[in-house]
Amino acid sequence: MLLHLTHETRYRYSPQVESAHHVVHLKPTGSAHQTVLRHTLDIMPRPAEQHEAHDVYGNSRTFFSFDGSHDGLRVVADSIIETHTQHHADKALPGSTPWERVREQFRYRAGADYNSAWEFLFASPYVPRHDAFTEFARPSFTAGHPLLEATNDLMARIHNAMVYDGDSTDVSTPALVALRQGKGVCQDFAHIMVACCRAMGLPARYVSGYMLTQPPPGQPRLIGCDASHAWASVYCPDVLDGGAGSDGHWLDFDPTNNRMPGEDYVTLATGRDFLDVSPLRGVIRGGSQHILDVAVTVTPIDAMPELAPGPD
Amino acid sequence: MNDNNKSLLAAPAVVAPSELAAALAPPASKGHFDELRGPPGQGQSQSQSQGQGQSQSQESASGAPGAIAREWTTFFNFLGSDGFHDLNHRTANLRRQIKDNGVTYNVYADANGPQRPWSLDLFPLIISADDWAGIATGIQQRTRLLNQVMADVYGPQTLLSQGLLPAALVQGHPGYLRAMHGTQPSGGMFLHIAAFDMARGPDGKWWVVSQRTQAPSGLGYLLENRLSISLQFPEAFRGMGVTRLADSYKALVDSMKALSPVTDSAVNSRIVLLTPGPYNETYFEHAYLARYLGLTLVEGSDLLVRGERLYLKTLQGLEPVHGLLKRLDDEFLDPLELRSDSTLGVPGLLQVIRAGNLQVANAPGSAFLESSAMLGFLPALSRRLLGEELRLPSLSTWWCGEQAVMQDMLPQLKNCVIKPTYPGTGMASVIGHTLSQRALDEWAGRILRHGEDYTVQAYLPLSQTPTWHGEKIAPRSAMLRVFALPDGHGSWRVLPGGLARLAGKNENIASMQRGGSSADVWALGSFQAAPELLESTSAHAPDTQPIAAPLMANSSRKQPVTSRAAESLFWLGRYTERAENSLRLSQLTLQSLAGDDAASKPLLAWLTEVAVSNALVSSSVPAASHAPQARRVFERALIASLADVEGNASVGFNLRALKSAASAVRERLSQEQWHVIVQMEHDFFKRCEIFKPPLDASQSAPDYSALDALRALESASGYLAAITGAQTDRMMRDDGWRLLSMGRHIERLATLSGALAWGFETRAVYDDGGFSAIVALFDSTITFHAQYQQRRDLPALLDLLVLDRDNPRSLSWVIETLQGRLARLATNTSSQDANLAADLPADLPALMASAQDLTSVFEQCQASAFTLSDNISRRYFSHASGANHSLGT
Repeated sequence: MLLHLTHETRYRYSPQVESAHHVVHLKPTGSAHQTVLRHTLDIMPRPAEQHEAHDVYGNSRTFFSFDGSHDGLRVVADSIIETHTQHHADKALPGSTPWERVREQFRYRAGADYNSAWEFLFASPYVPRHDAFTEFARPSFTAGHPLLEATNDLMARIHNAMVYDGDSTDVSTPALVALRQGKGVCQDFAHIMVACCRAMGLPARYVSGYMLTQPPPGQPRLIGCDASHAWASVYCPDVLDGGAGSDGHWLDFDPTNNRMPGEDYVTLATGRDFLDVSPLRGVIRGGSQHILDVAVTVTPIDAMPELAPGPD
Repeated sequence: MNDNNKSLLAAPAVVAPSELAAALAPPASKGHFDELRGPPGQGQSQSQSQGQGQSQSQESASGAPGAIAREWTTFFNFLGSDGFHDLNHRTANLRRQIKDNGVTYNVYADANGPQRPWSLDLFPLIISADDWAGIATGIQQRTRLLNQVMADVYGPQTLLSQGLLPAALVQGHPGYLRAMHGTQPSGGMFLHIAAFDMARGPDGKWWVVSQRTQAPSGLGYLLENRLSISLQFPEAFRGMGVTRLADSYKALVDSMKALSPVTDSAVNSRIVLLTPGPYNETYFEHAYLARYLGLTLVEGSDLLVRGERLYLKTLQGLEPVHGLLKRLDDEFLDPLELRSDSTLGVPGLLQVIRAGNLQVANAPGSAFLESSAMLGFLPALSRRLLGEELRLPSLSTWWCGEQAVMQDMLPQLKNCVIKPTYPGTGMASVIGHTLSQRALDEWAGRILRHGEDYTVQAYLPLSQTPTWHGEKIAPRSAMLRVFALPDGHGSWRVLPGGLARLAGKNENIASMQRGGSSADVWALGSFQAAPELLESTSAHAPDTQPIAAPLMANSSRKQPVTSRAAESLFWLGRYTERAENSLRLSQLTLQSLAGDDAASKPLLAWLTEVAVSNALVSSSVPAASHAPQARRVFERALIASLADVEGNASVGFNLRALKSAASAVRERLSQEQWHVIVQMEHDFFKRCEIFKPPLDASQSAPDYSALDALRALESASGYLAAITGAQTDRMMRDDGWRLLSMGRHIERLATLSGALAWGFETRAVYDDGGFSAIVALFDSTITFHAQYQQRRDLPALLDLLVLDRDNPRSLSWVIETLQGRLARLATNTSSQDANLAADLPADLPALMASAQDLTSVFEQCQASAFTLSDNISRRYFSHASGANHSLGT
């Protein structure tokens, strides 16, 4: 599927900002499931400097900074992505490995095997360890239960236990608060799922990205009404060609929609939690008051737009 | 025992000092190594002949247990019998010296928390040449190892992939910084400074207990300890071959300079010391070290990042920085990539480090090395990375994140210490044998649930070292902290000395935060001077002379004045002057109100207005008037406000603000000056305690004695004279000093012109009493009498207080001085801005001649002082102002 994404972030500052440093995660990475055909990042005003680098997870991130006064910031990421096979939604779920086998694999013994999934086993700033997650997760992880059935069950239970409420949390709400109040946004759903898996001793990571939403029948697609999305990804040794970016073995779960991501999903970045991959971070001097607007549009297109710049 | 001791002290001639010591010292507690006596069966060796006293006997007079070890025998023999009798006196000297030097340790990290004087014991911890040689090689090896572990973890991660190091201790440790992955510092040197805590077991062997790499403290305190203790025992210090420290510190700075990435060979590399600020528990040491090493002491807000390079904000503009000696924990370093709520760091700093444009001691990301759990893995890591066995053992340590290990350890908790694997949990170490069976079971349960959180270490009774307690020697449990520093050739050397921390009585945990004490550490060299060589001491330079002098000679450059220091100096000047004015005004008011012959109406009106406008009393207090009752009410209000730092900005408030401004630039002030500032504040608030309102109605109200108040003011005024004298005479006249001086003159201009304006407004200038009071407020009474005898006419007053260009308190003199300083500062900082002096009245005589009334002239003067202050802030301190905010979507 060919998808055109625009992700626009606007800040208006009062008083002016005297200097600023920013880092953004706004460029999707290529993987077995998506090809980045085009990507541009427009920043206004023009930064004093700007450079792109990969983080420790292989995500692309861009640093930029301003030395002079400015009263606003506009960052527009524009990408055309071709998503290939559906993630796994259509396939028979592979693997019948009992979940405990995976947990055993990630218990340290001297000279034990190591792989990069260990990175996603431990508590992280937005996914602290807490007994509440263990208690919530346990009914899904009964003895000998195959990993995929267990995680699917967990996803469904989170979906059913939580109410989606766009006003209930903001970017800094901890997963534990969201779990306790029983409502949150996609970021909270994802954090709770990640926390539950880690509580059971299973590596799990946080995925930030986009999904294509369908307008109500008969109505046109509205520009800018979409939002960034987030879901969870669980290590699964049976999968050989799993999620984006890494060394396979990962399966994605979207507890907000209780489904596994398909062709209509685009992965932006992967990390331990939101903090590793937040779309835009910054430290500004001055500008004690600021207004933020974010607009995301995901549009299916038939072909590459003409006169577009070549692939990035 | 006590009586016995006293009789021993009273009859010194018959026993050698070492025997006296043996008699005065009870043995160490059972199971602890006795530093004084050494291992059982030793001591009293042939080497005793090195000391002065030669009298030897196997049994001392009192029949006290075992004779004392060789090093201590030498120590006490150098001390001599006379010295022994002088120990209490030396203890008192030591206390005074620590207080005078302002050595402190902030117990709690906030402005109002207690600042405790540093606690230092009189006797050093003495380490024999043999023992020290073992420690030095072992610690050097461990530092090499830890550096290599870090290089691997931030590089190829072979230790993880081969299962030699659990991921839980790397990725699972909050101190592992993903943002630093793939970064290799120049020279491969991640760790410039590593601290190791060591303990000596009952068998006399030294063990490593833990290591500190993130921002280890102690390098400043141990220098201060050395200065203090070597002064108390000069003969023993010189005679026993105690190794000196200065070279190690110099090598640290030299090595950082050599490794720092200076792009232009003509430019000297600039190294700064980054502190979290005055509220940090070890801030004293940061300022002390900065002064000793000749580095600029900076806070995060003094620095900024541009183009992946780090700069220092100074009065002269941005100056490049090439090296950072940090005393800030890693997580606070860069709010862009690490903790976004950190206000102590520098946004963009990690990009500078990754780009290779900054050498940081230590490289961020070392905190995972500090986990106790690491100790259990080091032997295997040493074999793998160095191909060597560890020369110095660590205390047996087991990380409970490994199932088999945990199962083995659960039954043994009673004989062990349980420690947290990770920082920030708030858990303190738990000593197994102090727990009830039930508590032990609870701990076993916790470990069973979350084994990775806990590390179990063998319990080691700490060796006990002699300390002096009035009439006797008391053994106290000791921990030794030693430091590895760069040797300047890509490797490390161990600082020959250290910081000993002593536990309280009957405790086995040595911690400064738990009220323990410290001791100097004498690492003996292999050479010990014979007593007769003692005279030739000139070859020994004192250890604690700042090494900055030779360093500075190389750079031939003045220390820059950071924008923040400049701002603090400016406010130090303003508060100094404000304190002086409020003091003089309070004195004047109390004296005028106290007299039996009632003060004149205009004088009272003037005093009221000036006292209110200077915030000495609140405006709600009824004006002082002729009625004795009203005068008394005003007097009481003024006295009650003297030390009130909440409601008014009276004398006490100003003294405290002065101290606070001074503390922010402490590294620029002499010890004496700082000491006077601290004393002044302490003395004033102590004297004013009697003016505190009663806590409840049952207590009688304080007396508010004007006499007591005047005494307190007079005492503070003496201190203040010393402070202003030091500011004038004893500070380097750089641009920082210029701002201090401008702060004082701006405040003087504002206060005096305000007082003059009120003088005309209330017509006090036309009144004899008012006239004298105004002259007195300008501190010009004597001059006035000398010049004008008994004249009390307005022209004479205006001449002396406004127009006289020789009177340092006349408005003209103040304005002229400000103009001069502003011009000089503008030249030095190549300021392109409009002339800030334009704010000041250029021609006072002309202004006065043309003005409708003089009140408005003086109000204009006062307003110009405040405008100038604002413009100076905008022009010179804007870098320092303004807070950072974090954004996130």
